[in-house]
Formats: sequence, structure tokens, C-alpha cells
Amino acid sequence: MNCTRRNFLIGGSTTLFLSGFFPKISFASMQKKNLIIISLRGGMDGLTAVPVIGDKRLKKLRKKLILEDVLKLNSDFGLHPKLEIFHQLWKDNKAAFVHATNIPYTGRSHFDGQNLMETGAHIPYKEKTGWLGRGLLASDIVGKGLAISLPMPLLLRGVPQNNNFFPSPDFVETKLIDQIYDEFKGDHNELIKSTLDTIRQRPLSMQIATDSEDRKKLALEAAKQLKDQSGPRVAVFELDGFDTHAAQGGVDGAHADELEEVNEIVKILYENLGSAFDNTLILTLTEFGRTIKQNGGYGTEHGYGSAILMAGGLLKKSQVYTDWPGLKKKELFEGRDLNSTIDSRAVYNSAMSICFNKDPEFLRREVFWGDDLPNLTEDLFKI
Amino acid sequence: MSLNFYRRVAFGLSPQEEIPQEPLSWALNQLNTVPDFLWKGSIPTEKELRKKYGEWVYGDREVLRKKFKSDKNAYRKAKDELRIETGERYFELNEHAIRHYQTKYGTQPVFERFWLFWGNHFAISEKDFLAEFSTGPYQREIIRPNMVKTFEEMVQAVTTSWCMIHHLDNSESFGPNSKKGMEWRETINENHARELLELHTVSPRAGYTQEDVIQLAYIMTGWCHKWNNKDLETADIWFDQEMHQKGDKVVLGKKYKNDAKRELAKVIHDLATHPMCIKFVSTKLCRHFITDEPTKEMIDPVIEAWNRSNGNLIEIHKAVVTQAFKYNSSTHKFHPPEIWLMQLSRMFDLNIPLSAEKMSYTFKLKPTNRQKQLSWILREIGNSPYRAKQPNGWSDFEVDWVSPELLLRRFWFASVELPYLVNSQNKSHDFILRCLKNNFEDHEKMAAHIYQFRFGTTDKDLGRKYGIICNLPGVLKV
Repeated sequence: MNCTRRNFLIGGSTTLFLSGFFPKISFASMQKKNLIIISLRGGMDGLTAVPVIGDKRLKKLRKKLILEDVLKLNSDFGLHPKLEIFHQLWKDNKAAFVHATNIPYTGRSHFDGQNLMETGAHIPYKEKTGWLGRGLLASDIVGKGLAISLPMPLLLRGVPQNNNFFPSPDFVETKLIDQIYDEFKGDHNELIKSTLDTIRQRPLSMQIATDSEDRKKLALEAAKQLKDQSGPRVAVFELDGFDTHAAQGGVDGAHADELEEVNEIVKILYENLGSAFDNTLILTLTEFGRTIKQNGGYGTEHGYGSAILMAGGLLKKSQVYTDWPGLKKKELFEGRDLNSTIDSRAVYNSAMSICFNKDPEFLRREVFWGDDLPNLTEDLFKI
Repeated sequence: MSLNFYRRVAFGLSPQEEIPQEPLSWALNQLNTVPDFLWKGSIPTEKELRKKYGEWVYGDREVLRKKFKSDKNAYRKAKDELRIETGERYFELNEHAIRHYQTKYGTQPVFERFWLFWGNHFAISEKDFLAEFSTGPYQREIIRPNMVKTFEEMVQAVTTSWCMIHHLDNSESFGPNSKKGMEWRETINENHARELLELHTVSPRAGYTQEDVIQLAYIMTGWCHKWNNKDLETADIWFDQEMHQKGDKVVLGKKYKNDAKRELAKVIHDLATHPMCIKFVSTKLCRHFITDEPTKEMIDPVIEAWNRSNGNLIEIHKAVVTQAFKYNSSTHKFHPPEIWLMQLSRMFDLNIPLSAEKMSYTFKLKPTNRQKQLSWILREIGNSPYRAKQPNGWSDFEVDWVSPELLLRRFWFASVELPYLVNSQNKSHDFILRCLKNNFEDHEKMAAHIYQFRFGTTDKDLGRKYGIICNLPGVLKV
């Protein structure tokens, strides 16, 4: 992203803050830490993913969406049966959930909401860079972002030289790349030259054509890259289809199909990151949750509070971290949605602080304009 | 005179085109009139397509969702059938064909380049089903005819178009002191007002405040679709007095007296003729045609033309072309993937788009793979024109188009897909040499790269030739 009017805010000095905080970090920082964000577009229903157990009101309002065979997390919350890998990791203190959380956006538009979940701002379209890109830049981590999508997602914008992996439908001959590379050698264009360098330095596995519709293969490759000590430190996956206005269903509905995809990605990452999983955080991101009440099409409408699904060895413990607002009518946001009692940006800010070895206070100022975001590092993550 | 001027302001020269004697007047003469569409297939009106949009939305939301409450598979199946019946998966393909047919065969290609520019300046980003039904006809019917009028007239037309109003939520914007605003306790949605200031006219450099955005949003309240139970949000635009904020408004220090629907035209007049607007849009034009960071010397003559002609777009376009000509050999411009594809198509006479006959659609079967081909290519090279992610449209900066995957996909397209698009009579080596000669000064040097493949005519050989030719520095940019 070019330097536009909207990213002048992030220019501040980053070197001033490099010393004097996080004294314990010097040894740990030897080991590369990975931050993986999975965008769940369309509005993920936190109450389907991490249902509250035994709430009569929920049962009444969602007669056709009731989940059977919920996996038990604790006395208050269960887990959707399709999120089986999270349940497995939960037992090992490597999965956790933040509930009744969302970005501070209540407008219920996908369009605006998705923009804000990526920019981390308050006003749609006001910012042209993503919070993750700004976080990387502020932490002086350049060229370590990997997007598993074709265009560079807004979330990662704001820091140069990110890689992206979303291979073309067929193989490109290495010889052709070399030929073009040679032609650009004498060219004034440094950007293309360095990009061609990135392409040529890619491991062989990234040069082979893959079906980009096949998310499993992409996740497998991403895991390989992230495992490499000199590889990317940040990866962004994109999933859509969470906007289940109809036939949302319970265990086997349209929302369940989407959760199954999240499960699949996390499972592949877990199985292929090996010991690097212990130095990894995986977090989901969505624009809003969904209404408590089912609609006329046995689906749900756009809501407010949702949940963040988390996995990885950098989690403090298995827990459902929440300041539960309750589901009584008066406890709901505008009488219809699960409220959000935790600004989800506090979770992301704290996660970046852990993975980028930066003071959360510093990141809060550099990335989120000093917004009032509590430091959750000690509550959620291994420091 | 460098031949790359024909790619700088257009799409290069086709094998049939003679190299013009006077390049500048060749370009300037193309800007006085709006050329007709050459596409021989169906060109539905914006209103007809909006009707289809309505049928699709109504059918899904009001019928199918209720009918298949608890059966996701039956719901999906019925929805797929509805897609076929309403053309939900077809019209965008047809629009791409109309567009690319025009840039390939058009006799005023310079005009067409400006058409692409304005469609992107007043961008409709990917939202709801606008790309499927409405963005194409919006660009044909709202943008295009206004390109021989004033910039102000263009802004007026765009701002009150159904497509932009739906895109930027103005139908959901209520004056808080209006009749409906009070009754329903609703308030403004600032989206459209903000983008009118920021993206369409004066830009943030004009120094407007949040209060200016709010006040402009007040002026814009009431401009909305006239909801009815059948067309839902796809009904025509009107001015609803009962949604309009009462009282005087102040935008950028100027007072607009309470004057109902007439307020909007007044404020647009002031915004569209504001010096910061003229500077901002002139800079964008120079960025598109000259270089990413145009200098003051490049931009000033465009601003002068703007002031001299009171914002007449014909004169503004001519000034831009004149500047592009002047700086042709001293500047570089990297082209985004769609323009690159259009240039390859015109220069090498590629077999896209599909013929009008083959593009015809019966509303009974899914579009064929052949019908989807062009749109698929556009998506794969990362530049599906109606699917910009944000209202600021597709970037015009090189930095946004040079990522590893985006470059690799150009290599892929030229070396793997393009050979299938070469017309059977164009497979000889001589043909490529002729095309190169018509478009590039250093055609001999380029030809040397493919000399080793000169006897090959298989798709693989063609792939090796086009793979390199289409991705040389002087082809990716001018």
C-alpha cells in the first residue's frame, strides 16, 4: 500500500521503545513465534461455535438450531462437535476461547464490519492499512507476512514486502522466471527486481501449482513455511460463508460446514507445525456475531458479540475467557444480540505483543491510536 | 516518436491498424464523442438488470429461505436454480464481454481508457450483488454518457444513481429531525457523504472535518430507493422528503439554506468546482496516464484546462493526453492486470471475448465454461473489474500490483492460457514479429528472445514465446 493520507498516523519512532520492557523476552525471542489469523467472513455465530450450556432462553429462541452432542468444555460452555481439533487441544491447554467479544462496531453491515475488523478503526474506510500490517511495521518485522489469498488482504497492508501464496492454476516454468529476471536486471525498477528475487528464492514446494480452491493444500504449505525458522512469522487465511441467513442448522447445518473448514485448517497446521506449534498462536477474526433468535428461514441475522477461537502453544491455559453479559432480553445488545463485553482488538493487540516481542502498551499506541484496550497478555498467553 | 504512446493512452495497435502519422492528434480526436458499443450480443439496460437483481433477491429472501427452512441441501439446490433463472451468474460475464470487445475493437480506444478510469474513480466495490447485476450497466449508462459533459454533471449523475446510493447505503440515512427519523428513532449513515468528499471530489487534503461529513450527510438524507414489497431495495431512486433533515446546513464553511431536494445539487456544484477537487482529480488522471507520482509541472496544465473550460471533461481529457504525450519518453507507468490483458488482446488479436453468438444465454442452463473464460482469467490475474474490495476502487500504484503471486499469475497467463486464445491463422512466427514491430521500438531485441522457438507452432512453443514477450519490462509498463 502506498503512503496515503490514511497511514500517516503510524509513522512514529519505533526504536525508542526497543529497550527497557519485557525483560524476560531476550531468551524466548531466539525462537521464532508465529501469529496466524483466520478471517471468518460473513459473521461467525459465537453461540453456535461455543454454545452456552443449559440456557433456557437460548433453547427457546433457537428451537430449530439446537445443538446435540456438544463437546463439553466446562460447566458453562460447550463446543460445536465440528470443532473437534479444538477440543483435543483444549485437553492439552492448547485451545481457548474469548466469548462475548467483538470489534467495537454495531452497524451490522458486512461491508463496513469487514473493513473495520481489518483496519481496527472506528469509522469504515477511514484507514487504508490493517492492524496486523501496522503491528508488523511498528515491530520492525518486514517481509515476514504470508497471505493465503491472491490480493494482499487489507489486514496485512501497511508493511512492505509481504509474500502471498495462492498459486496459479498451472505451473510456470522456472526457465521463464529466470529469463524475465534477467531482463529486469538492468531495469530501474527495484520493486519488481526484489519481488522476482522473492519468487526465485521460494522453496520448490511453493513453486508447484496447487489448486488454490483446495484450502487443505494451502494450509499444508503454509505450515511448512511457518515451521522454517527463517520463514514467515505471520500468516492470514481467508474463509467466507458464515452469513447463514437460512438453514443455519445445528450440528449439521450451513454454519457447521463453515466451522468444519476452520477445524480443518487448524488441524493441518497443528499436525504439520510440529514443535513450532508450541511457539504459535492461531486466532480467528470476524466482523460480528449473529442474532440470538432464529429468523423465519431458520437462520440468524447480523448481530454484535461473537467469539474468538484460539489455538497454539503460546496460550496460557484452556479457558473460556469472558465477562458473560447474559442472554436475558435486557442483557442483550439492543434487545437482540449477544453483547460484546471485551473489545476483540485488545485480544489481537495482546497476541501481537506476545508474538512480536513488543510491549502491548507500545503497540496499542502505534497500531490502535492509543485506544483504551486492556492488556490481556497475562490472562490469555504465556509470557 | 516512441510507439509505447499507443499503449500509454490506449491498448496498443492491432495487427490491422496502421501506425498513425500524427500520434497526438490521433489521440485527441478520439475524445469529442461517446462511441457506440460495438458488441453485437445483448446489452440490457440498467433498469432491466435491476429488475433481475430484484427477482433474485426477492426469490431467495422472501421465497426460498422460508420454503427450505430446515433443509440446507434442498435450499442450496433451489438457490442454484434461481441463479440460473435470474442470470445471477451470467450478466457479469456478459458485461465483461461488452467491455473487452470495446477495448479490443473500438475505434476510439483513448476514450475507452478514460472510461475505465472514471468507472474506477467512481468505483462500485464488491457488495451485495452489484457486481453480478449493476456495476456493468452503471458504468455504461451513468459514467459513459457523462464523459463529454462537465465533471460536475458527472458527479450529479453518479451521486443520485441507484448503484452508488445502494453501494454507499444512502437509503439507510435518515435525518434525525425528519418525520421518519423522529418516528423510527433513526439517524444518518455517513458512508455516502464521506466518500463523496473523500474519494469523489475534494479529498481529505481539503481539510474538511467530521462535522462537514455530518452536515453533508444531512443534505443527502432523503435520496434513497423507493422501497416496495416486490422490488425491495432494487426500486428506483427518489427523494423522500420525510427522511430529509430539516434546517440549514454548513459544509466547508458555506451555508446551504433549508431547500429540500435542491440542496444536493448546490453542494455538489461547490464540491465539484472546489480547487482541491480539481487538484485531486487532475493528479489522479496524471497518475493513471503518466506516472505514479506526477510532478506539479505535469499536473498544472490539466488544472489550467479544467479552470479554462469550467470542468469540461473533453478539454480535461485532451490536456491529460497532451501531457502524457509530452512526458511519454521520460516517465514510466506500470499497468494493472486488466489493462495489460486488454493490450495483449488488441496487439496480438487474441480470441477474447467470446463471440456474441456464443455468449447468448437461455436462463435454463448454467453459463458454460467458455462463457466464463474471460471473467475467470480476470479473476485469476487478480483484477476482476467490478470486484474492487473497497469504494476507493483498484489501486493505480505499481506497488499494489507487484506481489509475488500477482506477477507469477501474469507469467502463468501468458505462458499457459494465452496460447489457447491465439487465433488459428495467427500461429506463425511472422505474425508475432509483425505485432511486435507495430508496437515496440525495440522489437528486434524482443524478437531475439523468441528466436530459438521460431519454428515451433504447438501450444507449448507459443506459450514459451508469449510467456516471455508479454512479461518483458517494456510490456508490463510503458
